Amino acid sequence: MLSRVADNLYWMSRFVERAESISRMVEVTKDTYLESRREIKDEDFWHSTLNALCAVEVFEVDPIDKVDEFLLFSKDWMNSTRNCIFSARENARMVRDQLSDEIWIELNNLYLFFHDKDALLVFRNRPSQFFARVIRFSLVFQGLVEATVHHDEGWRFISIGKYLERADQTSRILDTLTLKFGESSRTDLISVLRSSSALSAYRRQFRGELSLRNVASFLLFSQDFPRSIRFAIRRIDSNLHEISGVPRGNFSNEAERLIGSVLAMVNFTDIDTLMNAGLHQSIDDLQNKLIDVGQRIFEAYVLLPFENENLSQHRAVQSFAQQQ
Amino acid sequence: MTPSTFDDYQTGFFFDEMFGTGQNHQPVEHYQKVFERIDRLTDHEIEEKRRQADSSFLEHGITFTVYGDEEGTEKIFPFDLIPRIIPNSEWKEVEQGLRQRILALNLFLNDIYHDGKILSDGVIPEEIVKSSPNFRSEMVGFDVPKDIYVHVCGSDLIRDEKGTYNVLEDNARCPSGASYLLENRAIMKKTFPQTFRGMFVRPVEAYPELLLKTMENLSPRKSQKPVCVVLTPGVYNSAYFEHTFLARQMGIEIVEGRDLIAIDGCVYMRTTHGLVQVDVIYRRMDDDFLDPTFFNKDSLLGVPGLMNAYLQGNVALANGIGTGVVDDKVTYAYVPEMIRYYLGQDPILANVRTYLCWREEDRKFVLENLESLVVKPANESGGYGLMVGSDSSKKERETYKEKIVANPRDFIAQPIISLSRHPTFCDGKIEGRHIDLRPFILYGEDIEIVPGGLTRVALKKDSLVVNSSQGGGSKDTWVLEN
Repeated sequence: MLSRVADNLYWMSRFVERAESISRMVEVTKDTYLESRREIKDEDFWHSTLNALCAVEVFEVDPIDKVDEFLLFSKDWMNSTRNCIFSARENARMVRDQLSDEIWIELNNLYLFFHDKDALLVFRNRPSQFFARVIRFSLVFQGLVEATVHHDEGWRFISIGKYLERADQTSRILDTLTLKFGESSRTDLISVLRSSSALSAYRRQFRGELSLRNVASFLLFSQDFPRSIRFAIRRIDSNLHEISGVPRGNFSNEAERLIGSVLAMVNFTDIDTLMNAGLHQSIDDLQNKLIDVGQRIFEAYVLLPFENENLSQHRAVQSFAQQQ
Repeated sequence: MTPSTFDDYQTGFFFDEMFGTGQNHQPVEHYQKVFERIDRLTDHEIEEKRRQADSSFLEHGITFTVYGDEEGTEKIFPFDLIPRIIPNSEWKEVEQGLRQRILALNLFLNDIYHDGKILSDGVIPEEIVKSSPNFRSEMVGFDVPKDIYVHVCGSDLIRDEKGTYNVLEDNARCPSGASYLLENRAIMKKTFPQTFRGMFVRPVEAYPELLLKTMENLSPRKSQKPVCVVLTPGVYNSAYFEHTFLARQMGIEIVEGRDLIAIDGCVYMRTTHGLVQVDVIYRRMDDDFLDPTFFNKDSLLGVPGLMNAYLQGNVALANGIGTGVVDDKVTYAYVPEMIRYYLGQDPILANVRTYLCWREEDRKFVLENLESLVVKPANESGGYGLMVGSDSSKKERETYKEKIVANPRDFIAQPIISLSRHPTFCDGKIEGRHIDLRPFILYGEDIEIVPGGLTRVALKKDSLVVNSSQGGGSKDTWVLEN
């Protein structure tokens, strides 16, 4: 398929997943806020969320002064739910021919909803309805991708986009715990699990024993829970190999080599080693590796070989400059 | 008697598609059924059907981008629910006229880019052709595949006060609107299923298939199934919806310039599994933007090296390069001569009387009669830059006078023709609005024209300009089986 089309499908999918994830985080945080101690100020309460999303600076200069509305509706922060939906649609528009009408209509309808300022009114008056609409959209979208799109190469790029984004988002949600001032409370842990839609799955595995160690272990290493990082990385790995046709365990490009090493890490590291090394640091490393995987996929499938050469020269110059 | 929707309808002094030239409210025969159906609708039902149709367009993203709007607003192309109906016998005649015209246009292009016989025989002044901004000297002596330059042509037809069809202009570069023709039909079938079924309307849905066949016919590589693509300027182009629509219907890739790369005289598209050679490009951008190494140096939309590949015959373009000469409204005036010269026939479809300002006597007449003429720039499209004399202010006329005197070659004038009108829903009432017709003519192995075309309607009261950029809308066009 066209390289650009692969790229558009991948980003469309990432943005849909991101829109859902940001909305979930806002919903859960708002909810938790109701139960928080009264002396905590608004900004302090939202601080860890803003921090985990790398949005502290943008928020300070954004015309929207309420954090929740900023995260959902900012025009200037590229990852606000609104902007994610706009970007997803923009990417989808460039690959309309690859998508079923059903997918397009769902995505376009949500876009029209955000375009019309309806969304903000619904959010202010009936927030639960607002969140239900956004999250349901994402779930319907995923269902339609499964049910109405050829499970061919394009579909695999959609999958890779989804899981790469999900791994990244789950790691950020988990990171909010390490970015809180002081020890995480029970409410915080529950809030993180709910943001990942993982509360009941977690309970089934750990029978109510709520600790940072267990929550981190679950979100990082669960084999079968579809929002865990390990699960996502396994899917990225298998999809990349399906695209190239190279058996798993081997690799034909940097993206495959790198995802293989991340997979080995999440397969064979245990939670205590990781906690001892520092949870925040480990999450940070993981995020950087995932960013690199995304870049390598781009190099392997979107750029042409000679453009890659130029790119690596460019890189060498850059890193040389940084050493100076 | 129950009140009728058409009670207050005024045909005025125009040719009315539904009521003819008559002043009574008796529809012509082929409109009878539609007339009765509409007549029975209550205001509420009309509003409801309209709303349904509009939201269906918006939901499917059948929109065009409005230029100069920062928000990147997409608008739906306004759609009117009352179909325009053409009896088959009438259409047959129009169809013959269009066939004749596209043959002549292609013979003309082949001639001027080769021996220029029509010029040396003095039928058309050479300087007129060579001074056209769309004349491409690079094409001189180059043989295009099968001698066909214009594969997709949109010739705009109007009907005058007597109902006679005239050609207003030819669009031989990148005529757009075919997707609306197809979508309008789909929506009408949903909105008035019963009426539609009883009317025996000739189908139009073969268009994408015919377009693909037209493209495949051009492929330089015969050994394999040709790789055809649609080349779009990109998502911000006003006709982007149409480009994806057609690509999807044809089942071929839609590419942007950056998806293509020219290496050693061949054009390839960049895929996840390497480069794939492209045989035929249905390009939806003007010559100027196609190849920055040949034409507009600043174009970021094109493919460096594309022209080279084209001139080596390794890739075919539809439409060919340099077809814009026949879009020039000065060249247009000579099409009847072309038909006589190349085909030895009388034109079936007449042109609109056209005054060429570069001719001294015409210019004199134009300058003295501006108030009763439409002045048009020779090389603009989309209804930009034209002046309808009867609607103009003295100051405007003075400005145009100066422009014409300064650059007579760039202007033509035509009498103000009262285009035929058609009953149209306007703010809850039915009123007459001026319309035209853009059929799409495909020239591949054969000449194929899907019955009818896109009927465009000037929604502003009394306006004669039907272009979507100037407040125009569209209607479904029904050519009847018998």
